[in-house]
Amino acid sequence: MAKQVLWVLGVWLAGTAVAQAAPVVELEIRNHLFYPAELVVPANTKVKLLVINHDATPEEFESYELNREKVIMGNSKAVIFIGPLAPGEYPFFGEFNMNTAQGKVIAQ
Amino acid sequence: MLLNAIIIVLRETLEAGVLISVLLSVARHQQLARGAVVQGLLLGVAGAMIYAVNLQTVSEWFDYAGQEVINAAMQYLIYACLLLVCLSIGRAPLLPGLALQRLLRLVVMLAVIREGAEILLFYSSYWHRSDVLLRVLTSGFMGLMIGFSVGALCYYTLINLPLMWAGRVQRVVLTFMAAGMVAQATQLLLQVDWLPGGAPLWDMSAWLPESSLLGELAYATLGYEAAPTPVEVGLYVGALLLIPVAYAIARKWRTGNLLHD
Repeated sequence: MAKQVLWVLGVWLAGTAVAQAAPVVELEIRNHLFYPAELVVPANTKVKLLVINHDATPEEFESYELNREKVIMGNSKAVIFIGPLAPGEYPFFGEFNMNTAQGKVIAQ
Repeated sequence: MLLNAIIIVLRETLEAGVLISVLLSVARHQQLARGAVVQGLLLGVAGAMIYAVNLQTVSEWFDYAGQEVINAAMQYLIYACLLLVCLSIGRAPLLPGLALQRLLRLVVMLAVIREGAEILLFYSSYWHRSDVLLRVLTSGFMGLMIGFSVGALCYYTLINLPLMWAGRVQRVVLTFMAAGMVAQATQLLLQVDWLPGGAPLWDMSAWLPESSLLGELAYATLGYEAAPTPVEVGLYVGALLLIPVAYAIARKWRTGNLLHD
């Protein structure tokens, strides 16, 4: 049993180690807008999204398609892992400023 | 912006509202002081303020995974509490009334902290904008009232059930809500790569989009996820099955002990 637990733990740690090497893609928030509004990422690969909020107010990165939801405080940064994604388009938005903060991830 | 405020507040209050209403009905059926739930609510609001003010610091913990780790920990704790609540409703209750009352207070507090902090952060952007603040507050109040109405509907439905059915229905509803908490927490840990991600097992977003009202309700009550990954499905099913299994074991054990006495 202990051996099995160790084995599972090992696989999990290995998975985490691989994830640390995930490509990093930057996304910025300025004046309640996402820059770039279209993020191109490699398909079928886990990607580390580094979101930098330059506004003084908090924003919530949200995407139903990506299954992600995270509050990014004003003047700070946040990390969100996405994927591995099948090729396609995945819209996201800023929940606190839905009218302006819109964007999409394009996996290809 | 105004519709935004309604939607944000509604989304956050829906889940807490339904949970609180079910727990209130439990308090009523078990003849516990319902004040415990109200205390939990007040403690939760205070906790939400503290959490919102410190979220910047919390977010930076664990290499920027702090927000997810703390939220997930709160949700797993809610699951554990709801498991104990389920084992304490019925013919062979695990916990005595007073302990159950404290447990209800804790669950309500935890649920309100998480949801409340998000609402407070949304409003923090409007705090100094006196031109729109009042309108945003009124819109939010509408969202709160819709969430409250859904909760009230749940509460009155549950307390009007025949007594022989009430406990069973409460257990079933709480079991699904508890498993939903596990699903949401798991989702958060996937997001910061503390749990391995993967391709979704299926995608139901075409016939029940998560963004629809029904989808939101299913998310709040069942932890509905249109395109879940294997880890999410595994932990959700495990969490869902653990409660009835634990109930059956606890009941057998308790009734066995009672016979020996």
